[in-house]
Amino acid sequence: MSVRQNKILVLGLGNDILGDDAVGLHAARELQKVIQDNADVVEAVISGFEIMDVLEGYEKVLLLDAVVTNQHPTGTILELSKEQFKNVVAISPHYMGLPEVFLLAEEMKINFPKEIRILAMEIKPPYEVREGLSADVMNALPDLISKGKEVLSKWSC
Amino acid sequence: MNESNKKHISIDPITRLEGHGKIDIFLNNDGEVENCYLMIPELRGFEQFCVGRPVEEMPRITTRLCGVCPEAHHIASAKACDAVYHIEPPSAGRKLRELLYNVFFSGDHALHFYALGGPDFVVGPEAPAAERNILGVIAKVGVEIGKKVIQHRAHHSAIMELLGGKKIHQVTSLPGGVSKGLTEEERKGVEARIVEMVEFGKFTIKVFDDIVLKNKAYVDLILSDTYAMKIHSMGLVDEKNRVNFYDGKVRVVDCNGKEFVKYSPKEYLDNIAEHVEPWSYLKFPFLKKIGWKGFIEGNEGSIYWATPLSRLNAADGMATPLAQAEYERMYKTLGGKPVHATLATHWARVIELLYASERALELVRDPEITSPNIRAIPKETPTEGVGIIEAPRGTLTHHYVTDERGILTKVNLIVGTTNNNAPIAMSVKKAAQGLIKKGTVVSDGILNKIEMAFRAYDPCFGCATHTLPGQMPLVVNIRNKDGEIIQELKR
Repeated sequence: MSVRQNKILVLGLGNDILGDDAVGLHAARELQKVIQDNADVVEAVISGFEIMDVLEGYEKVLLLDAVVTNQHPTGTILELSKEQFKNVVAISPHYMGLPEVFLLAEEMKINFPKEIRILAMEIKPPYEVREGLSADVMNALPDLISKGKEVLSKWSC
Repeated sequence: MNESNKKHISIDPITRLEGHGKIDIFLNNDGEVENCYLMIPELRGFEQFCVGRPVEEMPRITTRLCGVCPEAHHIASAKACDAVYHIEPPSAGRKLRELLYNVFFSGDHALHFYALGGPDFVVGPEAPAAERNILGVIAKVGVEIGKKVIQHRAHHSAIMELLGGKKIHQVTSLPGGVSKGLTEEERKGVEARIVEMVEFGKFTIKVFDDIVLKNKAYVDLILSDTYAMKIHSMGLVDEKNRVNFYDGKVRVVDCNGKEFVKYSPKEYLDNIAEHVEPWSYLKFPFLKKIGWKGFIEGNEGSIYWATPLSRLNAADGMATPLAQAEYERMYKTLGGKPVHATLATHWARVIELLYASERALELVRDPEITSPNIRAIPKETPTEGVGIIEAPRGTLTHHYVTDERGILTKVNLIVGTTNNNAPIAMSVKKAAQGLIKKGTVVSDGILNKIEMAFRAYDPCFGCATHTLPGQMPLVVNIRNKDGEIIQELKR
């Protein structure tokens, strides 16, 4: 079982060569510059079991990611709890989606965060291999960072 | 499942599959399957993205191709870079790569068996979709099995981080070898973990025995015509024609098990060509010496598969003792070589899991593994090179061409799943035709059995498409029996 010095994690998820899919990584990078040193910041291009490895041992997690629901304009920030998350996101294209990870951790009694806040930005389907964010997502990035700061300030970060 | 009309059944999205996929099944006026297409609405354009970059960046860039098998791309890319720079890694460097790679293979195959393919058998092919996952496996078999899987993953992750520099997206393989060696203290720790991985491999064979092979209905399902696919088999083999994931020659055997061709990586373009179909964004590789004959089975056809089962079919055996015993048992049980039962791929996969663990143990106990001589510095002018390995999903080819500065001018990848595009399409169609008959009530269970036909391949379409430019809408074409589009759906 992992023992963490800090109890709070900021986890940015995404693929850094899939354009707007990387918005969570960008947001985590920016938050690292302003938050207290009582939180860890991780940028990760991972899914499934690997997410479980990263989350284990923390008490609170702010997860930053991109999402495609096709229900909101690009750049919309969705605030999700883990309970809501499985209702918002369709079946994951990855091996194990976050909902399955949460359920498996619960089933296996893994030391998992009690509180998980998810901030996800609506993007267009990210199938174009490229670096950098689109203008719409770049414009909305400060809002994502701002909402991330609000969450972290309540956690005294 | 949704139905746009009575003649069109769609499974979308395909569950537990990397990337986004869609299957369209077309029924004729009699309610039987007229045709069936596997549609892949995803473009990545990765190869063009790489052109203009220094070739030595490729082992790190290609890991971004996919969140599932970065290790395979890392190692294939490093081998292609070796060839581009005309350099052979020192023996210890080569063994460290192979050690990392076999540990990865063991972890990846375990994930497929317990989380992706296995639930169809453990929980049952007609169980509710929400239960056909690893949670369903735990509920059926017990929490102890979940603990073993997670422990196996922990060993895998720890060794990847040590040998690869990072848990995922490894960075240590370079042109000419690896950047990081193994101390004796580290070696002992890795050895202890791999000993447990071998035990896990033996345990998984027993799970497969108890749950699948002792259930006559499952064995009948595996051996049924619905899931049979008589095509050529491909796999990488060592100098004794035994399965090897890291190095060797690509061997192809025909439907009778007779060697059709054996070629070295640099000869791949003489042996493999790619066919394009108007209804798919994927290419369909085929055996060039036969030529494209269409989606047909048999020795006269040029379709081949590159899967755990095809690797065992293409080889004369396994290079480790426990896996060899299981190899012999599988062929004896299923009536001899080669086996054409698509669902037997799951059995072949757990045999490979055991082999990978055993091979990793051999390598970590090799006295040379702690040698500091792990990299040769490239000195020759870079030109062109091909690297071939076996990825868990099939033979993986990286082909790079550079200018004299080592800047990439051409990149071509044939990933594991791409090899299998044609057989997957054929298997899905055959399963649909076998399972949906006139008057059949198409239940979720039947649709899942159709999905099982491709899930056996462990397909990963996230890195299988390679056409620019960019984003593409999802398009569904409904065709008549002559292939003409009679309706087009977009979203």
